[in-house]
Amino acid sequence: MTPGPERPPADRADETDMELIARWKAGDGRAATQLVGRHSQALARFAASAGERDGIEELVQDTFVRAFASLDSFRGESSLRTWLFTIERRLMLDRRRAERRSRETVPVAESDQVSEYGALDGLIAEEAQERVRKSLDALSPTQREVFTLRVQQGLSYKEIAEVVGSTEGAARVHYHNAIQTVKEFLKDE
Amino acid sequence: MNKCMASDIQEMLPELLHNALPATERGRVEQHVVACESCREELRVLRAVKEAAVFAPAIDAARIARQIPPYRGVLPASAPARSRMTQWLVAATAAVLIIGGGSVVMNRDSATTEKIAVVAPATGTGASELSPVIASPGTSVAAATQSAPVHTFALASDVASLSDGDLVQLMNDMDDFDALPAAEPDPVISVDSGDSL
Repeated sequence: MTPGPERPPADRADETDMELIARWKAGDGRAATQLVGRHSQALARFAASAGERDGIEELVQDTFVRAFASLDSFRGESSLRTWLFTIERRLMLDRRRAERRSRETVPVAESDQVSEYGALDGLIAEEAQERVRKSLDALSPTQREVFTLRVQQGLSYKEIAEVVGSTEGAARVHYHNAIQTVKEFLKDE
Repeated sequence: MNKCMASDIQEMLPELLHNALPATERGRVEQHVVACESCREELRVLRAVKEAAVFAPAIDAARIARQIPPYRGVLPASAPARSRMTQWLVAATAAVLIIGGGSVVMNRDSATTEKIAVVAPATGTGASELSPVIASPGTSVAAATQSAPVHTFALASDVASLSDGDLVQLMNDMDDFDALPAAEPDPVISVDSGDSL
């Protein structure tokens, strides 16, 4: 009986990021799909928690395209997700700089000004979640970044420092200031 | 403010939330939280923040993966490893030979192989033509080309098979060689190495 064509190895959920990267470099495009699937939602949540509302999928796509183009420079000293957050954060900063420049030349009409969560009101089911989101809104951008990376993404202070381009000590200070602000906000509400 | 004095436990509350603590630490932290109202309150706040719905669209991972170009880097070769210096010598030698446009010959240091040398005219004669000289097996190239300085080169296609010592000698010889052509050299086609972000 003639053996059939050799079947490709099945995708394994337990493959590490480095193993998937090696597989992709060896020519297996499915490894890229697995990597994107593994990290894309976390990137989308990070962008949303950092205040992005429009073009999140485009931002996530740009992050992956840049990351895969420079994977040879990823040494694996931090986790791949931390590295991806770093890339995405830089893209968000670039985007905001570009938006600021365009806003300087194009006056914003009254009707264009929407409250930060105005578009989300219809989606909010529970009042408690709305209060939490407002408490995050009360934080400075850096505090919100550090706090959401720590609490929503579970990053260590070392990883947070790498993403935001700061030090572990500064990340700790931002986190503790943030949690005090959030707790006081929720207590007063 | 968390009135708890166990700051090390407070530091680990986010890890507890993400089930990221080793078993021994998890037991210690959970035991403390049961007994400490301040830490229980803080954990409630953290859980509410973690679970707060963040408006993030569902991402089409397959579509994004299709936008990613295939890997264009250099994979580790299966050929015997060479030192970085040797690889540089090979690349530099091939590049000079291509740019110079001179004819090249293979010179192998073997008593059983016919040696072919390229004879370069002495410096200052004004001529840049290269003449082949064939040394029969067992005869040194120098003996066969006594009247003129000899510069031996290797075929570009065989450069990779030269030993490290041969390559070093080759590069030294090329340093002494005046490769200025009489005619305009052929244009060199540059190789696109690709952009990296």
